[in-house]
Amino acid sequence: MHEPIRLKGPLQTSAPLHLAKGVLSVVLLFASTSARAEEPAWTSLVLYPPEISLSNSADYQGVVVVATRADGVTLDVTAEAELSVAEGSLAIFESATVRPLADGETSLVAKYAGLEASSKIVVAHAADQRPVSYMLDVMPVFARAGCNSGSCHGAARGKDGFRLSLFGFDPSGDHYRITREQATRRINLAVPNDSLLVEKASGAVQHTGGKCIEPGSKYYDFLSRWLADGAPSDAGSAPAVSKLAIYPPAAVMQGEGTTQRFIAVATYSDGTTRDVSDLARIATNNENSTPIDESGLVTAGVRGESFITARFDVHTVGSQVLTLPSDLQFTASDEVPANYIDTLVANKLNKLRIQPSPLCSDEEFLRRVTLDIVGLLPTVEEYHAFLADEAPDKRAKKIDQLLAKKEFSEIWAMKWAELLMVKTVANRVEYKPMFLYASWLANQIADNVPINEIVRNILGSTGGTFSVPATNFYQLEPDTQKTAENVAQTFLGLRIQCAQCHNHIFDRWTMDDYYGFTAFFAQIGRKTGEDYRETIVFNSGGGETKHPVTGQVMAPKFLGGETPDVAGKDRRQVLADWIASPENPYFATSVANRVWAHYMGVGIVEPVDDIRVTNPASNPELFDTLGAKLVEYNYDFKQLVRDICNSNTYQRSTEVNESNAGDLRNYSHALVRRVQAEMLLDSISQLTETKDKFRGLPLGARAIHIADGKTSTYFLTTFGRAKRDTVCSCEVDTQPSLSQALHLINGETIEGKIRQGKVIETALEAGKTPTEVLDEITVRCLSRKPTDDERNKLMALIGEAEKPVAELQDAFWAILNSREFLFNH
Amino acid sequence: MACYRVHPIHRTLTSGLSRRDFLTVGAVAGLGLSLSDFFAIRSAQAEQKHYDFVEPTAQSVIQIFLPGGMSAQESFDPKPYAPIEYRGELGSINTNVDGIVFSETLPQTAQVADKLTVIRSMTHGEAAHERGTHNMFTGYRPSPAIVFPSMGSIVSHEYGPRKNLPPYVCIPNQPNEYAGTGYLSSSFAPFSLGADPAAGGFTVRDLARGADIDDTRFARRRSALEAVNDYFSQKVKADAVGAMDTFYERAFSLIESKEAREAFNIDAEDAKLRDEYGRNEAGQRMLMARRLVEAGVRFVTLTYGGWDHHANVTQAMRGQMPAFDQAFARLVRDLDERGLLDTTMVIVSTEFGRTPKVNNQAGRDHWPKVFSAVLAGGGVKRGIAYGATDATANEPDINPIGPEDLATTIYRCLGIIADKELMAPGDRPIEIVKGGAVRQDLLA
Repeated sequence: MHEPIRLKGPLQTSAPLHLAKGVLSVVLLFASTSARAEEPAWTSLVLYPPEISLSNSADYQGVVVVATRADGVTLDVTAEAELSVAEGSLAIFESATVRPLADGETSLVAKYAGLEASSKIVVAHAADQRPVSYMLDVMPVFARAGCNSGSCHGAARGKDGFRLSLFGFDPSGDHYRITREQATRRINLAVPNDSLLVEKASGAVQHTGGKCIEPGSKYYDFLSRWLADGAPSDAGSAPAVSKLAIYPPAAVMQGEGTTQRFIAVATYSDGTTRDVSDLARIATNNENSTPIDESGLVTAGVRGESFITARFDVHTVGSQVLTLPSDLQFTASDEVPANYIDTLVANKLNKLRIQPSPLCSDEEFLRRVTLDIVGLLPTVEEYHAFLADEAPDKRAKKIDQLLAKKEFSEIWAMKWAELLMVKTVANRVEYKPMFLYASWLANQIADNVPINEIVRNILGSTGGTFSVPATNFYQLEPDTQKTAENVAQTFLGLRIQCAQCHNHIFDRWTMDDYYGFTAFFAQIGRKTGEDYRETIVFNSGGGETKHPVTGQVMAPKFLGGETPDVAGKDRRQVLADWIASPENPYFATSVANRVWAHYMGVGIVEPVDDIRVTNPASNPELFDTLGAKLVEYNYDFKQLVRDICNSNTYQRSTEVNESNAGDLRNYSHALVRRVQAEMLLDSISQLTETKDKFRGLPLGARAIHIADGKTSTYFLTTFGRAKRDTVCSCEVDTQPSLSQALHLINGETIEGKIRQGKVIETALEAGKTPTEVLDEITVRCLSRKPTDDERNKLMALIGEAEKPVAELQDAFWAILNSREFLFNH
Repeated sequence: MACYRVHPIHRTLTSGLSRRDFLTVGAVAGLGLSLSDFFAIRSAQAEQKHYDFVEPTAQSVIQIFLPGGMSAQESFDPKPYAPIEYRGELGSINTNVDGIVFSETLPQTAQVADKLTVIRSMTHGEAAHERGTHNMFTGYRPSPAIVFPSMGSIVSHEYGPRKNLPPYVCIPNQPNEYAGTGYLSSSFAPFSLGADPAAGGFTVRDLARGADIDDTRFARRRSALEAVNDYFSQKVKADAVGAMDTFYERAFSLIESKEAREAFNIDAEDAKLRDEYGRNEAGQRMLMARRLVEAGVRFVTLTYGGWDHHANVTQAMRGQMPAFDQAFARLVRDLDERGLLDTTMVIVSTEFGRTPKVNNQAGRDHWPKVFSAVLAGGGVKRGIAYGATDATANEPDINPIGPEDLATTIYRCLGIIADKELMAPGDRPIEIVKGGAVRQDLLA
């Protein structure tokens, strides 16, 4: 149940709150100056919002002034700064709020610690009073007070007989239900405050949801005045919210108890802006670090990272906030960045006061990069050659060598096949078209076709599933809505499923967006080809998508974009061009994030296919830059891989220090990852010199070559191979399990392969001593020599026999069962 | 009655940050645990609601889940006096308890009704399979923000293994994603048999050592493994590695305990008893479940059939129900004969019920407003029907009970106070069940 909300406008609350904060921050500054001789100087001052537009007599805009220190720490100095309006006759500033006096343009100026900042003020219609608007004032009250949330009247069947659309996706329907569904019951236009709507909401009569609106509050006043005006609806004519902003857009708060006020500003389609801090729902995702009150005031708590979000209308925006203890000793690392990745990662780590781990050893690097790029382990020869190489750029050369191997593209062909759900489906996708599709995809990636071109070819494909294998994309998923959802999730990293039934709760997507996007797939024609196994996919030129609430035919509309002209065109090609275009805001970042996650173990946005405001990037600058680089490289992701693997960030040790032990999302140390099923099996076969036979493939093919998602083995299934039933990135499972442990200990895979491959026997017969054999299998499996301690212990177990086959096999077994082998580190 | 021990993890939870804690904390990283979460967890641990275990009445649970949404009208809650379009084509029969009537599809179960608690007033609002299933496995409504752990994983988390056996086993496989660990570490995942006990030549894979691996070699392998693991575990402290460590420990104790391994050997059961359970999926899965709890497994989940009867519900029930009826009745009697029924709770549940009125395809559609569940043993009453539906099985008339209360009551029998909070990602302490009440009327 939501919190009851009472009006606490900027006027009432800001003065005492800021006073309190002023005292606090003075104390804080005093304490820190006495504790440390060098308090970093204030280096910049910013006044928010950057532009203030006031468009009626009652309009106002709260402001926030933020000072930033050289070490990145920010402080809310709204109360301490000296603020004034340049042209005092046009607007007045008091209690951290600007109000209009007369039409004209001027500016608000803030001064603090010798720094200055200003914001433009535009006043228009200063003498006009705006009547209460259903869309601008009343609907926001329902959202702010929680009336239309899913647990209250926003539930599918409403609550206690009264339904509102969830988060207001259907304002006209809500107006009907309030005013006419049960005539005279819910509203009383003669005595507005006796309306059931008002009495229930304000707790004057029994209400399951309790008192949600305080009598006399701004919210109460909106409802009451709207009813007094006759409860008119301006749905459809009122300006729509085109943008929402939260200020400050980021903050680094030092010391428990420090405060920072957040304000939300909406921009409307008519160009006006409005302070919606007390109409939006402002929330924190981390109560322990940044608790927030109804007025938008955050009080720093324990050390941590959090996200403050504001939701208003259909928009959600967020601000990343770091909280640091006040007595932290920290010296930023002076390591030279290898490339832009290190610079961006270090920016964040320095703000967090985290010291990254040092670079890993050559042995660790070799094993990690070989597993990541080609999905195998370095051979004994490669190991010795790499360690013996004295060239300073040997790591970069190794990366280039590995990127040139065909296995690099094979891994990515497999990864894309997972996302595209390449598999046979009974009565729909036969083996032949599926195999042609998988081969086509593998060839595209092997030929280094830019990834946006591949996607363009898939989405815009027309023809037979034999002759144009990309058309299988539409055969694997025949449902229109599901296709739209899959395209959004796979290629844009967006999950729009929720918006099928209601405006997305955690994201910006509305039902309009959902059905507008679905309309791109409304005209797909399918017919059986000459061979019954082939389907011809074509543009039928007919068919529309309807909005289930309004019944309106939806014009195809890009997600978060325009409504393109599709007349006479294949809608899918229009969409494909949009997705593949460098201007597309989602595609490049989403692909780059997937690439990053493969090499780093966790996406900057994680899960990689759930990019939304409320699931923010752990490092937004890095996220955007990787996307921009992919575009710059003409969508050749191999170059991006080169950047990633050459960065210090990729090459860090997995060993942690005191400051980064808890960090899992900021790349201050390498993450330990269980090797994915296919690569693990391929590695075991490589080490034991054995061959596997998979259905439809020749003996000796690797598990990453398996084309059909339906083909698996006990080993692959147990170790979490993607079933390719959904496009979800969660299909690949690298979580350990008891079955995995049992299988490695007793199962045929390791046991059988050691026996079958005869690696031990061959080595002994070649005249190697048991110690030499032990060293060799350790290098083979772990890319390192045994430590003296290990060698002593293992040789003691192996004993004195001249050809201890069984004993050495047991050691081989132990190494293949070791955690060090199962994990990439 | 053996006393429950508190799992070691919980001894350390209250006393600073141990490596175990670190593992538990880190293990949710897959769900997006960030630095903030880590610090927050450290600070929030003190604020978690904590309860000690209470004296359990149930030592083990056998959860029989009938996926698809089994019709209550055609099973445990017939409506013989309703018009035919509500009643359906099937008749009803008396049970061995006065006043309790079952559908004619359950003749053998009717003869063990005196050992059952039939709940006829289950209710929740989720008409989609996956959402209803989520409710019944976790006691929570699905949330877009968090994945909740299943009852089996909670029991695994709270109590850990017993007699070298995995605490939570699924027959034959984990039936759906909600039967998993949710926000808890993957160390608490169920062990899946991986094969159906009804299948010919059934064995659980990889429990026994290879033929030529004698004690000497096995011991040498373990020593060698320890020697190799040493180096890495000193350098690397990561959650997934810790979970793998746990599974290796459990695997070795399972492999080295003949009794534990024998629990999975259904061939050791008397052939006659196997016939009496029924040589089919229902029969052999339930028999396997009994074997497992008898040997020490705490929580067994099995599924049987598919009950989504939008069409031809009568024929479908006649086809699937006899095997269930035979197996379930035999299971209850078997447990009782062995003196295990008092300490073993059997739960029969499904994700929701079916529409009061038969549709134009002679089937029934989804109806989460009311449906039936059955409990037996482990501290619940014998021979009662709890709650009731109205004349057409449209609404719960008496004692409506939701998944929260059902789960809370089951946890209570297991000695777990469901208001206890566990740590979820996003630094949220989350109750095992939120807002559930123990239904004392169900308890013996």
